[in-house]
Amino acid sequence: QLFFSYFKDLVGQEVTVELKNDLAIRGTLHSVDQYLNIKLENTRVVDQDKYPHMLSVRNCFIRGSVVRYVQLPPDGVDVDLLHDAARREARGG
Amino acid sequence: MVVGGLREFAHRTGNGSGTPVLEESNGEELMRVQPSVAVALGNRSLESPGTLYITSRKLIWLSDVDMAKGYAVDFLSISLHAVSRDQEAYSSPCIYTQIEVEDDEDEEDEDDTESTGALDLSKIREMRLVPSDSTQLDTLFDVFCECAELNPEPIEEEEEEEEEEHNWVFSADQMVVGGGAEEDGEWPISQSPTSVIGLSIGDEGGLAQPMLELQINDQRFDDAEEMVHESETKDH
Repeated sequence: QLFFSYFKDLVGQEVTVELKNDLAIRGTLHSVDQYLNIKLENTRVVDQDKYPHMLSVRNCFIRGSVVRYVQLPPDGVDVDLLHDAARREARGG
Repeated sequence: MVVGGLREFAHRTGNGSGTPVLEESNGEELMRVQPSVAVALGNRSLESPGTLYITSRKLIWLSDVDMAKGYAVDFLSISLHAVSRDQEAYSSPCIYTQIEVEDDEDEEDEDDTESTGALDLSKIREMRLVPSDSTQLDTLFDVFCECAELNPEPIEEEEEEEEEEHNWVFSADQMVVGGGAEEDGEWPISQSPTSVIGLSIGDEGGLAQPMLELQINDQRFDDAEEMVHESETKDH
């Protein structure tokens, strides 16, 4: 549940979601669920050549299973905190 | 159940209403019916008039005039969906969806109407649904979200062995010789010694699985210092 909690804290921040099909979408993280399905607002496509038709959509819903990465704002990540939390979770809390 | 992108769908009830036949044995339910919806597959032109049926498992679009024409796609295959009002992107406000397609080769062009031969629906990556009533777009978007959430990745029981690969290691002291096959009783590890840290996005519902604890009480992993210290005190 770690990353679910982590992403919930990121709501409101700008993220770039890269899908497994190489599409990258930038937007404001609106919400996330336990399957890491992601809803973004004010989305715009980063790589416009591959999917020109998408351009800007106001809101979008991305299935968790097709996400490859979620790029976070650099100052939005406390790496040490995340590292410790992950270790704790790995050891069963 | 074959999941693999867009496909033709012509399974209508014979009672004249022309509604789609659902897999009720699978628990499939009709969530919403939206009449007067046109569909555009890939970069093909809009097809209409038709009716959109949203079930708990899939989207079905049926032509109102051609009883043999219809399309269906499982929510499991829909990578993303969005409300598109950008007129530069597309002339009509619509629900834009991307469909996950198996990548056989790199195809630059989708098979489209220009060179109709056999249109391979399973290669369609984008689909737009244009309701004649564009005020319905936000509601449709919400229903799509609901249905997508009802269809998380299935957990495949048979792939227990694969789970070993999904062990996420965060530090050296987590490196364990897996298997727990030793019988000397010093490994109080449960039947499934793998500790799945439930992160694998894109996996069989990894997050839904319970976290297993890895308990190693074997003294072999104690720091060497402690052992030495112990033996020293013993000697005294």
